[in-house]
Amino acid sequence: MKNNMFNILKKELREMFRDKKSLSMMLIIPIFIPLLVIGMSALFESQMNMPVTDYNTIGFDYELTDVEKNIVTELEINAVIDTDENLEEQFQNGEIDLYVTKVNNVYTINGDDSDTSTYASNLVESYFSAYKNYLQTDYLANHNVDPEEVIDIILLEENIATEENFFASYVISYAFFFIMMAITVSATYPATDATAGEKERGTLETLLTFPIKSKDIIIGKFLSVSLSSIITGLLSLILAVISLKIANNMFTIYEGINLMLPASSLIFAIVVIFAYSFLISGLCIAIASKSKSFKEAQSALTPLTFISFFPSMIVFMIGITTTNLYAIIPFINYTLIFTDITNGVINYTHIILMLLSTIIIIAVVLKIIIKEYKSEKVLFG
Amino acid sequence: MLKAENIKKKFTKLTKKKEHIEFYANDGISIEAHDGEIIGILGPNGAGKTTFLRIIAGILEPTSGTVTFDGLRYQDNETEIKKNIAYLSGNTKIYNTLSCYELLHMCADIYGVEKNDAEARIMEIAKVLNMESFLYNPIGSLSTGQTQRVNIARCLIHNPKYYILDEATSGLDIISSQIILNFIKNEKKKGKTILYSTHYMEEAENICDKVIMINKGVIIDEGTPAKIKKDTQTTNLRDAFFKLIEGDKNEE
Repeated sequence: MKNNMFNILKKELREMFRDKKSLSMMLIIPIFIPLLVIGMSALFESQMNMPVTDYNTIGFDYELTDVEKNIVTELEINAVIDTDENLEEQFQNGEIDLYVTKVNNVYTINGDDSDTSTYASNLVESYFSAYKNYLQTDYLANHNVDPEEVIDIILLEENIATEENFFASYVISYAFFFIMMAITVSATYPATDATAGEKERGTLETLLTFPIKSKDIIIGKFLSVSLSSIITGLLSLILAVISLKIANNMFTIYEGINLMLPASSLIFAIVVIFAYSFLISGLCIAIASKSKSFKEAQSALTPLTFISFFPSMIVFMIGITTTNLYAIIPFINYTLIFTDITNGVINYTHIILMLLSTIIIIAVVLKIIIKEYKSEKVLFG
Repeated sequence: MLKAENIKKKFTKLTKKKEHIEFYANDGISIEAHDGEIIGILGPNGAGKTTFLRIIAGILEPTSGTVTFDGLRYQDNETEIKKNIAYLSGNTKIYNTLSCYELLHMCADIYGVEKNDAEARIMEIAKVLNMESFLYNPIGSLSTGQTQRVNIARCLIHNPKYYILDEATSGLDIISSQIILNFIKNEKKKGKTILYSTHYMEEAENICDKVIMINKGVIIDEGTPAKIKKDTQTTNLRDAFFKLIEGDKNEE
């Protein structure tokens, strides 16, 4: 009698591990993480290391001077000289990557937003920068002015994050978003099955005739769903770590960067995964228990799947930093704290606030469901 | 002793015109059941039998009225009362993914049966109900009759004092029905109190000590089968029931 919560947990786990759909949600979704990490890395690398021959065919509707021809050769540009109309046609047919038209001293770069055109545009900008530099230097020299005194009048040194760091942070963040999504999806099915599913199958009425307190029923169900989410979360994290290690060695964009999280960061990442798993399990059970059927519960839970990772994704894109306030806002707090952890920043105040906020929300949610299970409305509402 | 006093249960129904209509499924039903008694709750579909038995089993709350088991009320002693009752309906569903053995073990744990006693009791019940051949099979793989036997086993596991059986033989073949009727007779001999609802009048006449006839949420007659037949000057409960309904219609 004392262990009725444990009895319910045991029953739920038996049902969950014997149900193919629950098992596949729990174990198969994490497998997509290595695909995401390796796939994104491959995409970044292909963009970073695109060979110049893929985008260096540039059209000009005017004859190039000797100086221009030298720059073209230096920048490995494959120049195509033709009329404006012909160049446009060649561009439409994909024979050239970009073309430049000239009216008096006005040069127009014509292209589109495709990858090759964008890269070609950068190449042409380098070309014009070099040509402009030549013209300025030549003009100053003809007027007996030392060009170095004018052109290099100021010196600019760059101290900004390298592109490799940007890619690393991008791929790690997206791996975390995917872990969150996997946890959410993993919680959805067992939560639906344990509440609305049990109602639909008619076993809830039987359960309610047993001498079990509503509190034990709900906590038992909550723990079983949380366990499913935690298993998915931990499996996803392990696969993310392994795939980051593989990506680190496989792709040149990560050269000189260590994608691996230190042990302390991994421990706190696990804390975040546990907190998020408990929160999402509580919310899923709360929403699904209001539904009369499995289908109705799944429809009701669909928005939660989006809410669970969209705000976090937006926060990451905008570049918001963690504050005490953000640390208590659900969903956003997990992303921000995880980003901090991956950057090597362990802020205990933020982590404690995140945990407190999670505990309070779960307590309130569970209290509401327990009250509902005490009433006949759970069966006939 | 089980006592239900003036039980009323109001429901709200949504009509096709989206209007909310209130109606009483039970309208002032009272019963008293003593140790070793089988009380038959008889009536047609929609009479309010299931609602009444669900209230007795603690699944539904009455709009008004009280239910007491040996002086204990649900409001104060829900867990204590439920430990002493077993509820079984023709529609009772059990967990298909569990084996019969796992279900019985779970029920024994929930009802607080001692671990050593539970094992012996499961084996004993399995033998009595002829379940040994499928004891370790998943419930989902069993026939309707076998599933209902597992349900009876579930009710027996904690040796309850009160049985609430709602159309427990409905939809079963003659052999499975007989198993349930034998089970009821055996439990009566042990001094258990049984509330038994059915619309099979002959069945009730054979096993019930007392019968309560319900129609449209109210009791239309009650007493021993012999008394009801005498009251209505009929030879069986089926005829008695039709005579009582006719009387009801004439009064309307």
